[in-house]
Amino acid sequence: MVKQDIPVVQTVGLCKSFKDFWRRPRVEAVKDLNLEIQPGEVFGLLGPNGSGKTTTIKMLLGLLYPTRGRISLFGRSPSDVAVKARIGFLPEESYLYRFLVAHETLDYFGSLFRLPRRIRKDRTEKLLDMVGLRHEAKRPIGEYSKGMARRIGLAQALINDPEFLILDEPTSGLDPVGARQIKDVIRELGRKGKTILLSSHVLSDVEDVCDRVTILYGGQQRAAGDISELLRNRDVTQFTTPALSTETIEQLGQLVRKLEKKDILEVSNPRTKLEDYFLQIVEEAQRANIRTSGARASGEMPEFLKVAADSTTDTVIDTLIEATTIPATEETKQPSPVEEPVDRTREIVESLLKQSADDTANSEDEMANPITSSDTNVNTDEGLPKTSHRADSAVIDELLGPSANDNRPSDGDKP
Amino acid sequence: MTCIWAVARQMIAEGIRMKIAFVFLVLIGVVLVGLPFSIEGDGSVAGAVQSFISYSLLASGFFLSLLTIFMSRSLSDDFVNQNLFLIVSKPIPRWQFILGKWAGMTLLNLAFLSFAGLSVYGMVRYIQSSHPTAANERDARELHEEVLTARHARKYIEPDLTALVEQEFEKNLELGIYANRPDFDPEAMKLSIFRKYDARWRLVPPRDSRVFNFDSVLCNRSKDETIQLRYKAEVTGYAPDEVFRAVFRFGDPLKGTPLYDVPVRHTIRRYHLVRAPADCVAEDHTLKVTFFNENPFAEEKQAHNLLEIRKGDDVEVLFAVGAFGWNLVRMLVLMMCKLMFLAAVSILSATVFSFPVACLTTFTIYVLASVRRFLEESFDFLLGSDVKLFDSLRDFLLQATAQVYAMLQWLLPDFGRFDALETLVNGRNVGLVWVLQGVADLVILKTVVVLGLAILLFYRREVAETSF
Repeated sequence: MVKQDIPVVQTVGLCKSFKDFWRRPRVEAVKDLNLEIQPGEVFGLLGPNGSGKTTTIKMLLGLLYPTRGRISLFGRSPSDVAVKARIGFLPEESYLYRFLVAHETLDYFGSLFRLPRRIRKDRTEKLLDMVGLRHEAKRPIGEYSKGMARRIGLAQALINDPEFLILDEPTSGLDPVGARQIKDVIRELGRKGKTILLSSHVLSDVEDVCDRVTILYGGQQRAAGDISELLRNRDVTQFTTPALSTETIEQLGQLVRKLEKKDILEVSNPRTKLEDYFLQIVEEAQRANIRTSGARASGEMPEFLKVAADSTTDTVIDTLIEATTIPATEETKQPSPVEEPVDRTREIVESLLKQSADDTANSEDEMANPITSSDTNVNTDEGLPKTSHRADSAVIDELLGPSANDNRPSDGDKP
Repeated sequence: MTCIWAVARQMIAEGIRMKIAFVFLVLIGVVLVGLPFSIEGDGSVAGAVQSFISYSLLASGFFLSLLTIFMSRSLSDDFVNQNLFLIVSKPIPRWQFILGKWAGMTLLNLAFLSFAGLSVYGMVRYIQSSHPTAANERDARELHEEVLTARHARKYIEPDLTALVEQEFEKNLELGIYANRPDFDPEAMKLSIFRKYDARWRLVPPRDSRVFNFDSVLCNRSKDETIQLRYKAEVTGYAPDEVFRAVFRFGDPLKGTPLYDVPVRHTIRRYHLVRAPADCVAEDHTLKVTFFNENPFAEEKQAHNLLEIRKGDDVEVLFAVGAFGWNLVRMLVLMMCKLMFLAAVSILSATVFSFPVACLTTFTIYVLASVRRFLEESFDFLLGSDVKLFDSLRDFLLQATAQVYAMLQWLLPDFGRFDALETLVNGRNVGLVWVLQGVADLVILKTVVVLGLAILLFYRREVAETSF
């Protein structure tokens, strides 16, 4: 196990300049970068093209040598073979051998980790199931689509059950199912306590899964911090309920005006995300056993990658369903005790729940299939004391589950 | 070891599936199957077999060398296609990766060379049974005793002329022949006298004879076995039909061996074989052969020629010490040693250059190693006189090239020195010592050095560096 006091990654004054034929510095790709990633963190490395993200990753992996500065992984040099045994790496492109078939590819990379044959075979099968390519395991990688190759890339990155996973643009070239799956894998591994470094242009991906981010520009660090703190909008309160009648909404407006002296800014039926709708269609097609030569994301998350204590996440599909559905039981589930004092927002929420008790009973069928327009979003502006915002979020999260953020209305939504 | 084996397997799979190896395998197959139906040799079965072995193994060696050279593309492509990103980030030491690549090439070569060897062996047996002259007893014996065998050769013991030289030198001193000669050098004088007696010994006047003694003739001394004497003779005068007649007597009655007189009617200036039962070899494995310049054929006329056995045209006795199969195996081992070295050079080139420069570099080294002896002789000839470095541009370039070549020489092997093809074709024994020398020089020394250099460069190289 990783000792808590040793960062998984630590760079001090890291610099990398590329030189021309005459050994003159041509490009300074990374300048004086100081990074520290603690064990168990899901860390995002953000930045536009040419900002030095991939160069930094290459230096962490020993593919490039720093011009100046120091790198340590698990407190040791990146070139240390023992350190590499604890790392999984998914590069931005699929740098796989085109002539090897999928299971040979995984077996090959498993061999490089000196995994015994039995374990290699077992993990290969399970990872192929996980990435949905078991039925295409006998085809050379060269015949795969980009997305399929990325899936094999992900599988090879996980073959050693890494303690530290480096993902460079992991969702690039993947269909929404694959992209979602990768995010689920990241979440799952994060729950297991793995450390993950994610470099991506797709900011929503980073936002979905990362605990902390660093933003690079011109090879230098421009911003860093906890992602929830960086992105929290403290000026708006949002909660989502099953569909409300016009009268209830009006009463709710009156209640808010009465209690907070503020108007509700926006009341809308949230649109489902296209990603969720797409996933639903794919799942239906898979249930109908429609033939495809592409990936079938219907496999199980391998045992060796599962969270030992978490028995609720059984399959990748379960994970997908869980992530895209508000469970029917959520409604009746008692909120977990919140340490912070229950304030007026809680009262509002409780009032809302009370008022819509009848509607809830009627809408239970719809809850099982939540990708409908029967939900209502309510946004208020500066209606609550700022000191209670953290507690508000916690209560709402507890009530509505983690997908509450997913249902946040887009900018284009009208009241 | 797991990692090395994994990389080697990947290399083999690449060779086969990317069709590089397949192409060369087909070429070798076409040569091996097609040759027996297209070659004629000298019309005899022995000639046909010799031609087949010669061409087929020459072609196989060349194609496998080309395969090894082209396989260097694998590592170059690993750099260019960035496959190395995924490999170097895994816990495989870089030296194991290089060794794995080399092992993959070597195993592929080993498999193909084994295929070639087995095919050659099989096709030789096919030619042996199907050739039109195979039923002819003389042809069959020639094939069995001169081609499909492993014969060891012993040269005769040079006659000791020291006593004669000393005697004449002393006599000349007494006679004062060397008196008043300011440049008198006793050793030079003795050498001059020696040359005179040596030349005289090599000339065999009519009705005279010469004795050739051999030692360590470690053959099976059975009467059913045969030993062979190989020689070439010149005549000092005019031989009307370029044929001379003589008698070889095998055996030494003083050592209790039977005597065998073998009359010969041979063409001048060509090598001939004279056969005799192996029991003419004495118990102490010495052999006495007496050459009589006498015409044993009473009905045939012969001019009174002075026959000459020249110094360079070695007289040697040949006797079987092994079978063709094992001789072929030893020859293939020497071929394999060259391919192992070439594979190391391929890897080294690919760590420095990308395709096709890496292939061209390896090919150049292959050519230089193949003609190294010729190059050495050429440089010796060109630089033999007192060439000054700055006398002319030509001399400067010559000197510079020679110096660069001299530096490379310690690394560049002499493939010609370990070329056993002619030996095999002539039914000569490919000695175990020779094979071990090949292994030591080509594999243990040079391949290890080249691979070490490749590993060093690979360790220093940034695999994600784009400017190469």
